[in-house]
Amino acid sequence: MHLSQTLELFPDLTVTQILFKEVQNAAELRQNAVEGIIKGALIKANMLVSPFQVLVATNKALHLQKQSQMKTRGLFSEIIFNLSPTNNISEAFKRFGISDGDNSVLVVLVHNKEESQLMSDILTKVDGVQIPVDDLSSISDLEKIKKLYKVSPREEKCGTLLDAVVCRMATKDVM
Amino acid sequence: MTVVIGFEGSANKIGIGIIRDGEVLSNPRRTYITPPGEGFQPSDTARHHRSVILTVLKEALEQAGLKSSDIDCVAYTKGPGMGAPLVTVALVARTVAQLWGKPLVGVNHCIGHIEMGRLITKANNPTVLYVSGGNTQVIAYSERRYRIFGETIDIAVGNCLDRFARVIKISNDPSPGYNIEQMAKKGSQYVELPYTVKGMDVSFSGILSYIEEAANKMLGSRQCTAEDLCFSLQETVFAMLVEITERAMAHCSSQEVLIVGGVGCNLRLQEMMGVMCKERGAKLFATDERFCIDNGAMIAQAGWEMFRSGQVTELEDSWITQRYRTDEVEVTWRD
Amino acid sequence: MAKNSEMQTLDFLRTAELLKQGAEARVYRSVFLGKPTIVKERFPKRYRHPVLDEKLTHRRTVQEVRSILRCRKAGISAPVVYFVDYTSHCIFLEEITDSSTVRDHIASAQLSGSSCPDVELEHLVKKMGHILAKMHDEDVIHGDLTTSNMLLRRPPEDGETDLVLIDFGLSYISTLPEDKAVDLYVLEKAFLSTHPSTEALFETLLKSYTASSQKSEAVIKKLDEVRLRGRKRSMVG
Repeated sequence: MHLSQTLELFPDLTVTQILFKEVQNAAELRQNAVEGIIKGALIKANMLVSPFQVLVATNKALHLQKQSQMKTRGLFSEIIFNLSPTNNISEAFKRFGISDGDNSVLVVLVHNKEESQLMSDILTKVDGVQIPVDDLSSISDLEKIKKLYKVSPREEKCGTLLDAVVCRMATKDVM
Repeated sequence: MTVVIGFEGSANKIGIGIIRDGEVLSNPRRTYITPPGEGFQPSDTARHHRSVILTVLKEALEQAGLKSSDIDCVAYTKGPGMGAPLVTVALVARTVAQLWGKPLVGVNHCIGHIEMGRLITKANNPTVLYVSGGNTQVIAYSERRYRIFGETIDIAVGNCLDRFARVIKISNDPSPGYNIEQMAKKGSQYVELPYTVKGMDVSFSGILSYIEEAANKMLGSRQCTAEDLCFSLQETVFAMLVEITERAMAHCSSQEVLIVGGVGCNLRLQEMMGVMCKERGAKLFATDERFCIDNGAMIAQAGWEMFRSGQVTELEDSWITQRYRTDEVEVTWRD
Repeated sequence: MAKNSEMQTLDFLRTAELLKQGAEARVYRSVFLGKPTIVKERFPKRYRHPVLDEKLTHRRTVQEVRSILRCRKAGISAPVVYFVDYTSHCIFLEEITDSSTVRDHIASAQLSGSSCPDVELEHLVKKMGHILAKMHDEDVIHGDLTTSNMLLRRPPEDGETDLVLIDFGLSYISTLPEDKAVDLYVLEKAFLSTHPSTEALFETLLKSYTASSQKSEAVIKKLDEVRLRGRKRSMVG
């Protein structure tokens, strides 16, 4: 159901993505994340095209953390910020972090290989239905994503929507 | 044995050299030096060459210990270069060829530099960086031509240096480039200047106009010293030259570099090129001021190669040309 | 800390396959975030003054990713940027798999010698002219146009072969016809020196370029000027 991957640049770390639909307690979860009770990034699942997008954001967040060059206060907020096409932090949280009324959430955990406790914590805290991360595409709101990332039909001729999204995420610091 | 005498005077040097089968028998030279802040004008330069050419010719023969009858061929610079000085020297070469009853060979000046560099350094098939007051080219040999892979798209690097020297009134004696090199050794602060590489080509006009505009302001406000400017200019333009040379080497899979031309005797340029070569596992070949700077022997050497491969220039074809590209010459003496 | 992060990328590169050592960058092939990836590492050039080297390297890394995004937004194929490490000056790019360079393509077409390749090559250079016009209309100056810096990607289905521009290391943004003309001049020299006797083919490319953009007239006019500058320079000394 969940997706766990290691990062080539950070071989000691594992990134786990868990996807939920029909979430009832988004407000509570958001509060938990703010207070640091949940050690993970909570993302609006309908703003994601693919788990790869999350991986790109997480890799960049870890890289900037190592360099003490993060733009936000913590790794998880940085992951959310990195998903955004712009350098506006509050805008990024609004568009990509979960809001109280959201019913689909993707949770991102970053952990050492042995820490399975983290995941069971999340599963108990979320009041919703866990679905395979690969089903993300059934939740994606493509029109909204295209609009937010300003992807024109012209651009989609030379690549996928995911390509367009990832390219903006990776290069936004110098735009 | 083949003995060739070469006449060179395409810019502000007049030189006559004699070569016997790869051996430099003599190579005297004079330089027309102008006051600080002034460049050399064609008619004044030609007048200078006219006034000394017979003395230099006498020296060349005497130092070589040869008589006119020992000469097999008279080589002269056909171009490129300044019209009036080229004509002056060609005229004398034509005259002695007829007086002595010897064949003439018109030589491309750039090829003179390349062949002299190959002779002196024994470089086999190098990528050539040819840098002087009038030329900036990266050249490699292929299929009977010295092909130009990269070059300046506006002014030559030596011209850029010379004109900078005029702006801050650096002496032209012995040459502006030499004086810039000495001053640069005392510079330490790096001032950022435009850096323009386009593919394998370079551009220096932007740097020159920038520094022309900024130099006296920066010096006036004591932001930096003249030495700092010399240092920064050298660091910038030489880095550009090394970069395009390396690009050409990568393109041609070459493992040898030969630097020729007047700017080529700059030791900082040689040092930078050496570092690049070392990192690539390539070999650097360079010559000193005797052969880097325009001289007669280089024309004799290229003439020797041409003459031995059967090329001669008939009297009616022995004109000069201000524009004569390196890749126009068919190289009949190499495989 | 910064040192630490630099190590991470460089350690990773040690496990990657070195494809080529160019003049300014080492190019590696690897798998990154699970995808086939090309990593372009701009290593320090020790012959350059360290201040100049750092500035130049950083600027080129930035310009490269900017130009790529600008091209892609305009529908011009260029590799997707996955990640940029500005400390070790590494760009992680999509690997254009199942592709060959235009250089190899033209060379093999010329070798085969039949009359059919001519039609095919004409089609190819027309496409090149069209794409370069589109790129210049976006004010992207590639800076290092050669037939080695263009890839032909075979389409997944029956679609048309895609032309992908790569290596934007010397690129920049400019609206000036002069800069666009020099861009074409650099390509012309590279094209004609790499592929002998292709003057007519290159003319076709320029015609297609001219026909594809309203701004092309000024560029072609400048191109003539730039060519003359090279030929007519007095070359004293």
